[in-house]
Amino acid sequence: MIFLDALLQGILMGLLFALVALGLTIIFGMMDIVNFAHGEFLMIGMYTTYWTSLLLHIDPLITLPASAIVGMLLGLASYYFLVKHLLRGPIIAQLFGTFGLMLFLRYLAQFLFGIDYRIIQRGLLVGKTLTLGPFIFDWTKLSAAILSLIAFLFVYTLLHRTKLGKALRATALNKEAANYMGIKTDRMNALAWVIGGGTVGIAGGLIVNFWYVYPTVGILFVMIAFASVAMGGFGSIKGAFFAGILIGMIEMLFPMLGQAVGSDFLGPHFKFTVVYFAYFVIVVLRPQGLFGWKK
Amino acid sequence: MAFLEVTDLVKDFGGVVANNRVSFQINEGEIIGLIGPNGAGKTTLFNCIVGFHKPDSGKVIFKGKEITGFKPFMTNREGIGRTFQLTKVTTGMTVLENVMVGAFCRTDDRHLAKIEAAAILGFMGLDSVKTYHLNELPIAAQKKIGLARAIATQPELLMLDEVASGLNPKETEEMVDLLKKIRKEKEITLFLIEHVMEVVMPISQRVIVLDGGVKIAEGLPKDIVKSERVIKAYLGEKYAKGL
Amino acid sequence: MEKIRDAFDFRDFSKPEKVGFAIFTLLLLLFPWLGAGSFVKAVAIQFLLFSLFGMGWNTIGGYGGQVELGKAQYVGIGAYTVALTMVWWKIPFWASMPLGILVAIGYSFMIGYPLFRLKGHYFAIATICTSLVLQDIFINLKLVGAAKGIELPIHEHPDFLYMQFKSDTYYFYFIMALFYTAIFYMNWFRKSKLGYQLRMIKEDEEAAESLGIDARWCKIKAYSIASAFVAVGGGFMAVYNLYVDPYSVMDLDLSIKIALMAMLGGAGSMWGPIIGSGFLVPLDRFLGSWLGAQKGLIGVDFMIYAALIMVVSAYQPRGIWGIIEEFRKRES
Repeated sequence: MIFLDALLQGILMGLLFALVALGLTIIFGMMDIVNFAHGEFLMIGMYTTYWTSLLLHIDPLITLPASAIVGMLLGLASYYFLVKHLLRGPIIAQLFGTFGLMLFLRYLAQFLFGIDYRIIQRGLLVGKTLTLGPFIFDWTKLSAAILSLIAFLFVYTLLHRTKLGKALRATALNKEAANYMGIKTDRMNALAWVIGGGTVGIAGGLIVNFWYVYPTVGILFVMIAFASVAMGGFGSIKGAFFAGILIGMIEMLFPMLGQAVGSDFLGPHFKFTVVYFAYFVIVVLRPQGLFGWKK
Repeated sequence: MAFLEVTDLVKDFGGVVANNRVSFQINEGEIIGLIGPNGAGKTTLFNCIVGFHKPDSGKVIFKGKEITGFKPFMTNREGIGRTFQLTKVTTGMTVLENVMVGAFCRTDDRHLAKIEAAAILGFMGLDSVKTYHLNELPIAAQKKIGLARAIATQPELLMLDEVASGLNPKETEEMVDLLKKIRKEKEITLFLIEHVMEVVMPISQRVIVLDGGVKIAEGLPKDIVKSERVIKAYLGEKYAKGL
Repeated sequence: MEKIRDAFDFRDFSKPEKVGFAIFTLLLLLFPWLGAGSFVKAVAIQFLLFSLFGMGWNTIGGYGGQVELGKAQYVGIGAYTVALTMVWWKIPFWASMPLGILVAIGYSFMIGYPLFRLKGHYFAIATICTSLVLQDIFINLKLVGAAKGIELPIHEHPDFLYMQFKSDTYYFYFIMALFYTAIFYMNWFRKSKLGYQLRMIKEDEEAAESLGIDARWCKIKAYSIASAFVAVGGGFMAVYNLYVDPYSVMDLDLSIKIALMAMLGGAGSMWGPIIGSGFLVPLDRFLGSWLGAQKGLIGVDFMIYAALIMVVSAYQPRGIWGIIEEFRKRES
């Protein structure tokens, strides 16, 4: 029973991890650049919903669009002012470029908001739970998971059923060919960053309902996102989805493993370490992840 | 015993069979040309021999030793050198340093490597550009440097991927003379992929023709140019019939 | 014999470089007698330490072109080996440091082997992962002091066996000696076969392979060398601070700083890491102490670096040394 409960909780969290990973995999699929600042985009999404709901006295679920918009703008600005220039340089420059962005945003947040831990205290769903048989779910987590699923479906539809989405995928597959057909690479790159920033912004807006936000919260999530993307296959949206859920389950089940084995050392404090380790193992053993990659 | 023996080589890229049971032999001291229309599988064949790709089936035997599936650095140490169609233009190392890297394949001593590299550059007539960087030199020089580098590894078989592409007629002539000189003075067997017939035909003892992944002809240059099948492959049926 | 001659042979550097370096060396030798305050002395020691770290990173990251962001785990290995052997078995520095180097090299081969199957971004992230995993383990392992770390017992000063001194002057000359050892080593390295092969790998790995170079193995070797360098720095930190904990010696921030120093100064060049360190360490310390004094400005110093990193990445990825070299080319 506890096992099943952990599993279900894991799936809920996993849906959110998947949403976080979505943006990362889209950007990577488009232009082979790893956005180290992805976690910071999430953090900003979290702060956005937190502050707007607090200061405007509105329910955090309603301020979600604000996070989405801020995320999209952040993605756009990052692309035009930084990433575009990085693409011309060597890999070391690309790595450090987004790294610099990560540090900048992190310490900007520290400067603006201080190092205190914050979480949404007041809202329609805060503190309420849903009981389904023997299982108890937090409404905040449940709604976040549902909304995340909706967001996922939205992006998937956007990418597979609209003209714009097809143009995006065409560029991801073959820049030059798409270019010849009149699809401007630059615009598609920017679009990828907008979608990437927007989705992770939304994820942040959802997560802050039940997870504390502080300036360095990004690092944890970005590593989880990396692991999801690696597991699912860099560039694969389906992969990000399933891998995210898988990792959510691992998170929840790992502490039980420690208990089952009777080891004090293998405790819940390692549940994220396991993720980092998993990334390493996956990338070495099966670099294309579960669903293949975009090379 | 043949110097290089390729038997029933197959390389399948998930649906596109780039090399379909290709077989041939090269004897020591020969100059062999490999021609065929674009997409025939020539570069893939090269890559399978030197090890950039692992053949799906078939054998590659060099000097009596099976080297199928050996990695590129291993085939090099066995004595096969290779040049690339496009020499990546590097900015961090001088010409001399580039060739020294090749020389380091056979020695651990920097001074020996330097002397050897300088000697090869002299042999190729590139003395004057020793201290330049690749990005400062014209294509003809870059190609020669790629060649020099490979020669520095003291290969017994040198595989050249379109070494004459991008050269003007005068440079092409120089290249042909250079290749002859390499074969004669360094005693290296040459295996060339070429599109430039002015290079392949005059110097090759034999020519192998690939088309659509299959070897369609092999023989003396003068016979190959008259072969109906070869002409058809390059120019289409109309012209083949016309002759 | 050859190797030693190579290490001391600076003939292929330009005149201004040689003169500059000579003056620099002179200044360093005289430094403790120039009447600087203890804060400045501490900064100078940090500068030399980070130069050491940077030079180590440069081996694999600069010359080898493999950007790795997990050096801190080796700082930690060096630091903890020295600290633990001293606390447990009273082993002096001169025995524990070589041991630390061996452990670092061993560990680097162990994870290097799978690690170097990866390239580019995947590789960089994987290096971060291994560092985080090690750090997490140390934070939770009571045997090594967990999050609180280890304090080294204080000995009578000056103690040359355990390298403990009251005055910073001793530490200064100590780190300076390590620094120059590193310089001579790097001078040999860049002229060695491995150095050439590594540079070729960085330029064009395919071509390198076709020239008989086993790229993966070369990278692993360079990575191990880098790890050894950095472990020595870690050992120094242990006896200097008399304290090690997973946050001060194994943190991701440390890994980033190390790589950053080398990149800013000019990765792949001999002087790059030193220039980078010379620029960033004082900036870090002085800015930190000045801004830190103003309470409202926590984090601004990092924001400045971060902005610096972004600008350099976007416009001059070859770092300060890259700028200098471009200048020289235009002159000639």
